[in-house]
Amino acid sequence: MPRPEQNFISFEIDGREVRAPEGMSLVDAAKNGDVEIPVFCYEPKLGQAVGACRMCLVEIEGSPQLEIACKTPVEDGMVVVTTSDSVKQAQNAIVEFLLINHPLDCPVCDKGGECPLQDITFGWGPGRSRFIEPKRHFEKPLELSPLIAIDRERCILCYRCVRFSGEVAEDYQLVFLERADSTYVGTHQGHPYVAPFSGNIIDLCPVGALTSNAYRFRARPWDVENGGSVCTLCPSQCNVTFTVRDDAKVLRVFARDNAKVDDGWLCDRGRFGFQAVHAPERITRPMLREGGALHEVSWERALSEAAGGLERAGAGTAALVGGETTNEEGFLLQRLMREGLGSPHLDSRPGGALDPEQARALGRPELAAMVPDIDYADAVVVVDTDLQDESPILDLRVRKAIRRFAVKVVLVGGRPGALDPPADAIVRTTPDGGEAALGALAAALAEVEPVSVPPSDRRVPRDPAQTPTGGLDERQHGEPERQGESAGRERVDDLARRAGTSAEAVRNAAAALRAAGPTVVLWGERLSDGPRGRQGVAALLALARALEIPETEGSGLIEIPSGTNARGLREAGCLPGLGPGLLDAPQAGRPAAEIAAGLGEDLSALVLLNADPLRTHPDRAGWKRALEATTFVVAFADFESETVAEHADVVFPAESYAEREGTVTHADGRLQRVRQSIAHPGEVRPVWSVLAELGARLGAPADPPFLTSPMVTRAITEAVPFLAGLTLEELSGKGKRWQERDAAEAAPEAPSLPQADELEEPPEPVAPSNGDLRLGTTRSLWAGRETEHAPILRFLAPHQRVELSPQDGRALGVESGDEVEVSRNGSSVRGIAALRDALPPRSVYLIEGTAQDSATELLDGESTTVTVRRVEAE
Amino acid sequence: MTPDPGAAETMSDISSNALSDDVIAVQRGPTPTRSKAVYRAFGATLRSLRTTLARTLEKPTTIQYPEQKTPVYPRFRGRHKLHRFEESGLEKCVGCSLCVAACPAECIRVVAAENTPEHQVSAGERYAAVYEINMSRCIFCGYCELACPFDAITMGNDYELSDYTRSDLIFTKEMLLAEPIERTPLRREGE
Repeated sequence: MPRPEQNFISFEIDGREVRAPEGMSLVDAAKNGDVEIPVFCYEPKLGQAVGACRMCLVEIEGSPQLEIACKTPVEDGMVVVTTSDSVKQAQNAIVEFLLINHPLDCPVCDKGGECPLQDITFGWGPGRSRFIEPKRHFEKPLELSPLIAIDRERCILCYRCVRFSGEVAEDYQLVFLERADSTYVGTHQGHPYVAPFSGNIIDLCPVGALTSNAYRFRARPWDVENGGSVCTLCPSQCNVTFTVRDDAKVLRVFARDNAKVDDGWLCDRGRFGFQAVHAPERITRPMLREGGALHEVSWERALSEAAGGLERAGAGTAALVGGETTNEEGFLLQRLMREGLGSPHLDSRPGGALDPEQARALGRPELAAMVPDIDYADAVVVVDTDLQDESPILDLRVRKAIRRFAVKVVLVGGRPGALDPPADAIVRTTPDGGEAALGALAAALAEVEPVSVPPSDRRVPRDPAQTPTGGLDERQHGEPERQGESAGRERVDDLARRAGTSAEAVRNAAAALRAAGPTVVLWGERLSDGPRGRQGVAALLALARALEIPETEGSGLIEIPSGTNARGLREAGCLPGLGPGLLDAPQAGRPAAEIAAGLGEDLSALVLLNADPLRTHPDRAGWKRALEATTFVVAFADFESETVAEHADVVFPAESYAEREGTVTHADGRLQRVRQSIAHPGEVRPVWSVLAELGARLGAPADPPFLTSPMVTRAITEAVPFLAGLTLEELSGKGKRWQERDAAEAAPEAPSLPQADELEEPPEPVAPSNGDLRLGTTRSLWAGRETEHAPILRFLAPHQRVELSPQDGRALGVESGDEVEVSRNGSSVRGIAALRDALPPRSVYLIEGTAQDSATELLDGESTTVTVRRVEAE
Repeated sequence: MTPDPGAAETMSDISSNALSDDVIAVQRGPTPTRSKAVYRAFGATLRSLRTTLARTLEKPTTIQYPEQKTPVYPRFRGRHKLHRFEESGLEKCVGCSLCVAACPAECIRVVAAENTPEHQVSAGERYAAVYEINMSRCIFCGYCELACPFDAITMGNDYELSDYTRSDLIFTKEMLLAEPIERTPLRREGE
């Protein structure tokens, strides 16, 4: 759907002439004239207004009765009155009516003090009630889920939560039960409302009917301060507000509306995961391994031990950078490694190396889409990622695009996901068939184009002045070559076979995309992992070329990385071959897998910056060996994970995201500020200052020394050409995409995108023998530290789940719910079997990063087959 | 009245100055002679002695504090009290924090918690797990009493609140709930 054009009209409200875009809801348009129309049910984020509460009644000239403003689009020359006696009488009546059954237990209610019902009663209510009959009663307090408390007596039946469940999250769990004055909100059969986005109904509820269990009775609005920041628990980087009491304790996290990032929604992990910040088991003091055990020591001792150990190892030091690391911390670490210790071996990607040329190609501004482009694209391609688990807010965004703007969605990947039902075309592959599938799709797009509408006419070309040439070839338009046609067909068939899918599925997807204009491709980092990662990215770039992404306004790629700040860390210089600004590092380093192989050989020390290789990196056994062979491990960690407890020699306490100060970069290039909201607990020091101190002691002192985090940010903007001149003021509030700044012209050049027929032949799909299955991995929204350390989320911590197709289940004698063992080369994990109809046969999917039995036990970077066996109950 | 020559001289000095309009010459009485001064002092002593002697027959107006205390009016705002329901013994305070919002001196801190059937502290769903008043900050304005929707906090009559350390002046919920030792007499009707 093209971006709607705004046509301004003028209308009159309460005697004032006001201008507003045509068709805007009168409630919103009135704000342009500083007129507030009270509402309960109206919320533009929920889609169409429903007019459930009748609070917004206004008088419109020419209409015989009062009209509801929320469902009235503003028109030119409209005359609206909100202050007449009849409007006042109606408002008084509605408030009195709503309060008939409202219990008025404000002193006990968590909403008290920030309650729209209180405010509107005070502002537009009659002040007294004539109702003396008994109010309706429900059982209370009740838990709607372990996260949310429901008080049905307080509910005014505004319909917001039910609309959210049905029209935004699309989980259809909340409904109105019963009718008339017995109506109440509930779930079918009283099941708990557990869903990835359930917490949003707490923010939506205009009364205290839905309240957060985590915030229950914790504080009042006047007891707390709210501080804006960015949630760094997943790559969505939603804008959040921390509610802080006594400058020390985060009590609540709620959304800070930013339409360009999160649309004002939050997932439950982001909303409730903050409790991990105050977990008693958190590391808050530096520790040192003495006599085999970790002991708390002073900062000076820990710093000198760390500096001494790293100095001894010198160029034999390697570093792993975790995804939550800010740009500043990553920049300082690469500086410490490259300039201080002379070691180029640091990696922020767990899955494998990214080719420097490809990293630059992926970083080009003309290949970058921004999040709102999803709304206005004609088609969205989702490759090798399950958005709901890996970047939940983008899942809501894609759903919104489908629902409101009829965007076509094409899914490419092996595992059926939450977006399957509304998708227009699905290319179901083998677990690592992404590369072949993209190649097939790119080749299919080059097949005969439909005669009716040439796609180039449907696409709005980018402004030529703004399109940097970037070495990208102009695509040759014109008649498709007739001779190459049959060869192309064979190629599509062959590639589809290699991807483990049917050529028909690929052609269907190509047909959906060919007719489309601007296209956004959301691709999972998984595509670029492993030994064929380079070819995977090449196929992606070929698809981008086939879709004319560089030339089309509103088209682009968005990566769904495994780490929150993957893009920022890449641009700050935390890849083995790339220094700051995606420029070639003076010396090429080793990626994570090779670091593991080299530890104990020529590498002797390891720095772990918010990284936990035993949990997140493939080949757990290999990392275990590597960590045991490492002489000296320095870890920045917030919890005593296995890596820390058993292998770290010096442990520096890491900051939580509520204590950090720095910047992170969204996958679409938006730099955002992470702001400190609470004081550091215990003896925690800012990580940037520790890294700067280590740098100063190890031969990389800064001049002038880094005294504040903004000084480090400044050093980044000086080192990275395309961030030149960036100031923190520019980033305040909603952040800024670097592609939109003038300095973006300095983005490094990349070679031209590969043609679909230039791609390397993908390998034949692994043929599993003796009933073995192909192993695929997936991530779970709930497999993370926050789930385990936030008391309220602990019930969601996933056990390993082994997903099989029903055919394989039958062949193996496994049914849903059985305990099964998945083994390969002597290592094995156990999990609960789940048979899924949509899963292609001969594949099995396991979750990465669970606390126990993580799929990373079985991965070693190669595509693998595994043996699945039912565990007999003892 | 004629200013003495010395003063006139000073005046003329000043009048030559541009600021002369702002200067007021202090006018003094004649310098008393020695005998007059002695007479005056003696007279004044006698006059005051008369007042003193006249009062020796009256009852003293001072009271012997702390053995004796001034009675206060019933609406005197002294140390706060938290109340319980008489029948059930449950606390009236539900920890709503409205007193915190009303307090102009920001001397009240409330942290609420949830009642459970096993641990029922107040009558509502929530209770005040922490209720502290910093008496060294309190200005005894009584707004907390006015704000309280449950009459859980009232201003008592005690004014003897001094202590040796500041931290001892933070009154906890237990201290505020405890029946105060009635040390302050109330002023009787018509007193």
